[in-house]
Amino acid sequence: MNEQDIYEGIGQVDDDVLLRSEKKRRARRPWWAAAAAAVVAVAVTVGLFFPRGSSSDSTGAPLVTMAHAVAEAHYPEMAPYPDETAADFEAQYEAWRADKKEQNREIDNLDGLKAYARTSIPAFLSGAAGENRAYSPLNVYMALSMLAELTDGESRAQILTLLGSDSLEALRGQANALWNDHYSSDGATNSILASSLWLDEGVPFDQNTLDTLAETYYASSFQGDLGTEEMNQALQDWLNGQTSGLLQEQIGQLTLDPETLLALATTVYFQAQWDSTFSEEKTAPQTFHSPAGDVTVDFLHRDSSGYYFWGEHFSAVGLRLANDGGTMWLLLPDEGYTPEDLLADSEAMDFLLSGGDWAQKKQLIVHLSLPKFDVSSQIDLEDGLRQLGVTDVFDAGLADFSPMLAGDAQGIFVSQAKHGVRVAIDEEGVTAAAYTVMAADGSSAPPEEEIDFTLDRPFLFALSDDQGLPLFAGVVNQPQGQ
Amino acid sequence: MEDMDIVALYWARAQEAIARTDEKYGSYCFTVAQNILGSREDSEECVNDTWLGAWNAMPPHRPVVLRPFLAKLTRRLSFNRYRAATAQKRGSGEIAAVLDELRDCADPGGDPEGEAIAAELGQAIRRFVRQLPPREGDLFVRRYFFTEPVAVAARHCGISENHAGVLLSRTRRKLRDHLRQEGFLHE
Repeated sequence: MNEQDIYEGIGQVDDDVLLRSEKKRRARRPWWAAAAAAVVAVAVTVGLFFPRGSSSDSTGAPLVTMAHAVAEAHYPEMAPYPDETAADFEAQYEAWRADKKEQNREIDNLDGLKAYARTSIPAFLSGAAGENRAYSPLNVYMALSMLAELTDGESRAQILTLLGSDSLEALRGQANALWNDHYSSDGATNSILASSLWLDEGVPFDQNTLDTLAETYYASSFQGDLGTEEMNQALQDWLNGQTSGLLQEQIGQLTLDPETLLALATTVYFQAQWDSTFSEEKTAPQTFHSPAGDVTVDFLHRDSSGYYFWGEHFSAVGLRLANDGGTMWLLLPDEGYTPEDLLADSEAMDFLLSGGDWAQKKQLIVHLSLPKFDVSSQIDLEDGLRQLGVTDVFDAGLADFSPMLAGDAQGIFVSQAKHGVRVAIDEEGVTAAAYTVMAADGSSAPPEEEIDFTLDRPFLFALSDDQGLPLFAGVVNQPQGQ
Repeated sequence: MEDMDIVALYWARAQEAIARTDEKYGSYCFTVAQNILGSREDSEECVNDTWLGAWNAMPPHRPVVLRPFLAKLTRRLSFNRYRAATAQKRGSGEIAAVLDELRDCADPGGDPEGEAIAAELGQAIRRFVRQLPPREGDLFVRRYFFTEPVAVAARHCGISENHAGVLLSRTRRKLRDHLRQEGFLHE
């Protein structure tokens, strides 16, 4: 018995031991390692509602320091992603697949949604002036839909128009379908739209409205003494919990004034793995030409066969996410153009919402070089929303919040609408394949032509579902933030 | 595409099965072969041989998870090719160093080789690897199944190269004791 016999004998180790060995063990884990993610993205939108004149009369009222839920949402349960090494793998797989299918919804008014994304993306992403910008159309959609539920008259009509719905009932159906269609919490792909409403103690509210929010938007409502330290902490804890602590810095600065009557907070947490991994061995520092000057950052590299897309002023590729997680689209402006130019370019916006259904494409071997990026941004939605025709809710004299409040709702308006987003990618995946080379065989001829796709200057990205609806979109001017 | 769907294609004798397998596992199998053979051309041929092997094996086999099934197939084919080539010259992959290390556990003057004994030896090693603590087991598999360089296997397991060297040496000694107890080694 020689060493070759032993080497051959080692070929009989159990499959589950082999699979276990493929999972990487880390000595030191990066901040998001707990999520084992390729893409992590979060967004928070908070709107604060003040009464006109800000006449707070909390003195003398009993001090309530704990928030209590007045309407609670219940998320669907989902079987965990199956453990490939488990003896009952097939049963786990069936349970998981069934739960995933259960969440599928037909989106009726896809055109209306895309029109909203199309006008709002440039409105919120333009004017980055060399900084990073990120925006979650879906997060703001949910926040605006809830705002439509709380308002009436022209206030509501303006929101419905922007969201492309002709009635509140249609919007409700649409928002509910979107929520469910994007919901995933199987541990492998997590995508959760979470919403909440915060009411000041003593504010009379309409229970029916809150119940509608819980049932349709999966939103929980809390009541307590807004503006106290404890309530600020409760709000921040809730937001941090929903976004897995990824936006702690921005959320830490969020406080409510004692004058606040209502606060609406919605979040999106998204985490998924690449369908086909980047090899860590190939990651290497490279120069990125940012508007503020050249910087050296780690670039991910991958050579694979795939579609290469182009338009008049840009080229693009899409990276699939595992487990039906959607696609991350990367749009590189041609030399001489900027992401800002693409935001104003209707062809580029068409592409961004096309879901890859695009005539100008070719299958090539793409040598992709992508900077590892971690961008966060905080934008004030008010200017953008005013520009998009949603004006009355910001005006104390015009805002109509009658459906929300059981009593006198006069003079309540949205005093603040903030939107914080963070999107980060890395090479993490499920496997440890040392490198990716197309192994050709007779049945499927590989493309003969090759192309280098190097994102070494500012670019646009969008994280979209399979219908082309972006959960997130952004401009990367500085891959590793400030 | 899910593994179960790919396996179903093999059972339906659909040529597309091979394209889908290549798409999903082409680079993975290439890496397994490349570690053993160190030659791009040879490795590509072994990957193609793997697809042929898979085509011949399914049916009757119906693996639930394709990954280890294909890894074992590629590894066996690559090692056979390595052995055929070393009759003429030494290969340039990591395999030479791996075999050197495994000589620690071997008994060159031992039993005559035979299929039955080889199968028993494989089972004895399988049981040995199974009872190792996870970190030692993973390191052993990365080094001696996937034939990875020590530095790569160490990084994969989140430990330093030195630490990996020590752990591997200790595990080889344990394997030697285990094989002696099981009656494969005499001394």
